[in-house]
Amino acid sequence: MVTLYKKELKYYLDNPIGYITVVLFSIFVNFLYVKDIFVTGSASMRPFFALLPWLLMIFVPAVTMRILSEEKRSNTIEILLTLPVSETQVVLSKFLAIFTLVALGLVLTIGLPVSLSFLTQIYLPEILVGYLGALLLGAAFIGLSMFFSSQTKNQVVAFLTSVLAIFLLLVISTDFLANVLPKFIQDLAGYFSPVYHLQNFVKGIVDLRSVFYFASLTLMFLFATIIDLEKRN
Amino acid sequence: MIFLTAVTKRFRSSKGIKNAVNEISFKAKKGEIIGFLGPNGAGKTTTMRLILGYLAPTSGSVTIDGLDPIEKRIEVLKKIGYLPENNPLYVEMKVGEYLRFIGQVKGIEDFSSVVDEVGISDVLNTKIEELSRGFKQRVGLAAALIADPEILILDEPTSGLDPIEQDKIRSLIKKISQNKTIIFSTHILSEAEDVANRLIIIDKGKIVYDGVKPQGRGGAEKLFKRLVKS
Repeated sequence: MVTLYKKELKYYLDNPIGYITVVLFSIFVNFLYVKDIFVTGSASMRPFFALLPWLLMIFVPAVTMRILSEEKRSNTIEILLTLPVSETQVVLSKFLAIFTLVALGLVLTIGLPVSLSFLTQIYLPEILVGYLGALLLGAAFIGLSMFFSSQTKNQVVAFLTSVLAIFLLLVISTDFLANVLPKFIQDLAGYFSPVYHLQNFVKGIVDLRSVFYFASLTLMFLFATIIDLEKRN
Repeated sequence: MIFLTAVTKRFRSSKGIKNAVNEISFKAKKGEIIGFLGPNGAGKTTTMRLILGYLAPTSGSVTIDGLDPIEKRIEVLKKIGYLPENNPLYVEMKVGEYLRFIGQVKGIEDFSSVVDEVGISDVLNTKIEELSRGFKQRVGLAAALIADPEILILDEPTSGLDPIEQDKIRSLIKKISQNKTIIFSTHILSEAEDVANRLIIIDKGKIVYDGVKPQGRGGAEKLFKRLVKS
């Protein structure tokens, strides 16, 4: 599995696409946060974490879209699945390679809390827990995007369907919908929204229900991807 | 030993249900080079994928040295080297890098003997996408040969190559055939005649001939034309 992981990661490290996507993500997230911080005068990392799901909605599908769709288009999937490795190993190694890339993208935002610490008193554990939430959110989005990548031979279709699915997950807990939907649907929809669960981490709370939510979302999509590979669709 | 007993593989498509292979049975022993012949869509690739466990049979059984390739997938795949149809490769990788990857997955670090055998030592640092079709085919063959598998399954190994490259690949198959079971599919009847010591002809999912290759030049072609109507 280590060999498979290294091969996947190397593709992104040898390819300008990997660097461009990670750097663009970092530039966007840093800029969008910094542009408001001096206007609002609020020195907090909360606006950063509020912004993150929307940026990950583009960044994660962008790095994940080729991961299985390209293997299916070029039929290298037949090479991979006729080597002595299991479908689970194939899916997990690909997941971990992209997770490494997403983690790298988040590492490039560390400058923000560091800069903030010069301006104001920051509470480090709260920020660390926020980043833990961001990693879990990233993992769930990777799982989802991998599943959609496994459903098509076309990278663009994989990207668009993943973005749409993540958008729907994010939008169900927005204030806009909260004003329209009945209360009980709001509560239910909120529980299924990654934004709701990320908020717990942003407050510095490691809520096991939110950990369970992100873990189950990730595992559910990874499992569906493994099943798809086993079915040889 | 490869055993196929009454194997059927059925596919569902928009056109309905089709038996890609229908109740086929054969066995293949060590040292045999089996030429697998048949028109397009006859079921050659499906049969090869069933042997590999890449596809599961709808009915019947496949065993490799007594192991079910679906249930004991990894153990079975350790015994088999496979060159798929159209030779898909990770073209963005360098040749050496690709073979190292395949080797490491198969648990082998040193693949130099395969590189020498296939004649690709000069292109180890070249990206696969920059290679000619003939060299790409050799890379695919080298990948199949890594870890010295007991069984080689080659799906149209000379397809799309010029006659000189075809000859080189054929010579190579003959050279590596000792103590192995080789099943290769081809459209070139003279190739089957030249390389194989046994022929299996499949048409519309059914085996219509399984035996020694006919004597005399052009014997395989006459046999093929007599048996295959499609």
